[in-house]
Amino acid sequence: MTRTETLVQAMLDEALLSLDELCRAAAVEPEWVAQRVDEGLLPPPVAGGAVSAVWRFDAPALRRVRCMVRIERDFEAPAELAALVADLQDEIERLRLRLRRGGLD
Amino acid sequence: MQFKDYYQVLGVAREASADEIKKAYRRLARKYHPDVSKEPDAAARMSEVNEANAVLSDAERRAAYDAVGRGRQQGETFTPPPDWDAGFEFSGRGGGNGHDAGEFSDFFAELFGRMGGNPRRGARGGFEMPGEDHHAKIVLDLEDAWRGATRQVTLRSPRVDAEGHVTLESRTLDVKIPAGVKPGQLIRLAGQGGAGSGGAPSGDLFLEVQFKPHPRFTVDGVDIVAELPVAPWEAALGAVLPVELPDGSSLKVRLPAGAQSGRSLTVRGKGLPAPTPGNLELVVRVVLPSAHDPRARALYEQMASELADFDARAQARASS
Repeated sequence: MTRTETLVQAMLDEALLSLDELCRAAAVEPEWVAQRVDEGLLPPPVAGGAVSAVWRFDAPALRRVRCMVRIERDFEAPAELAALVADLQDEIERLRLRLRRGGLD
Repeated sequence: MQFKDYYQVLGVAREASADEIKKAYRRLARKYHPDVSKEPDAAARMSEVNEANAVLSDAERRAAYDAVGRGRQQGETFTPPPDWDAGFEFSGRGGGNGHDAGEFSDFFAELFGRMGGNPRRGARGGFEMPGEDHHAKIVLDLEDAWRGATRQVTLRSPRVDAEGHVTLESRTLDVKIPAGVKPGQLIRLAGQGGAGSGGAPSGDLFLEVQFKPHPRFTVDGVDIVAELPVAPWEAALGAVLPVELPDGSSLKVRLPAGAQSGRSLTVRGKGLPAPTPGNLELVVRVVLPSAHDPRARALYEQMASELADFDARAQARASS
């Protein structure tokens, strides 16, 4: 095992992923993403309407894609069910935040 | 490194059918799911279960794992022999079936880690494999949003050397994060992912920013929320109160007269110092002096007798 240390300066701009980058990050094919955007199971990408080459995806979109991929693969679930699970996880997070705000957690 | 017995992790026999493996995995995925599991070590167990499933649910990987693991025991010291995977064809899709293979063990990384990316034929006919993207989380203290932070990120990449041996190469990055980050923000460090081979470009490193829970402040997007404890007369008569902020500075807040517990005050621009700064929300909580103090007791008894017509239940109903 070799170790090297490198000093890197992070830039503040939020990274927006292209369709290709999203697919690499989540191990899915572009058609998988396009179909679910089409069917409203993934939110519309940040830029561009029908032209997938200019689509951009933010961090919440990446998280949702990863969540749906896992449910579809692990449980052989239909895309709609995976989308429901992703929606429920969002709601759980929203409720947890409310509990934290209220000092109730 | 230590041999991992994936069959033991899933609780199945070595001869288990693909169906039995699938059922065992789904049962454990439900048991250790991070959002619902009550198990104390759920996250670690979930990672372990995902790793075992990534190998055993894939026919090629399972065959190779069975071959190299014949006769091995969980925890045994183990080195894969050279060419251990000769004759096995791994498909191009690498990683953990959509799970974050970065969380998998060194054992997995060394055996299966290099099967990632899409190899292409390079200009000279050799295989070019672009480097993988890496993903990592960075956990900051809330104060770091104002002062920035440096964090170390250690990444492992399997490397195939000239003789075809796979070794795990570990790289540590010192990442300087500037002030103004938001929770959940994705930071890209171009070219800091896995090295490409055959001249192909390196992948990128994506960092997801998370804040550790803070005893006084809750982060809501770029806003921060805190309790504002007040004395009964401060709430009733109004007051100017000091508030200490996460960056150590303090400000004075005017509480209007007639505040009740639960009432919110918003201080604009005093939330996270993001490019568009968030707000600070203060939630009033009235704190009563204890009646153990004889002076307080005397005053309470006086209020009770002189304000006997005050009905808290009716008041609360009226204002809700």
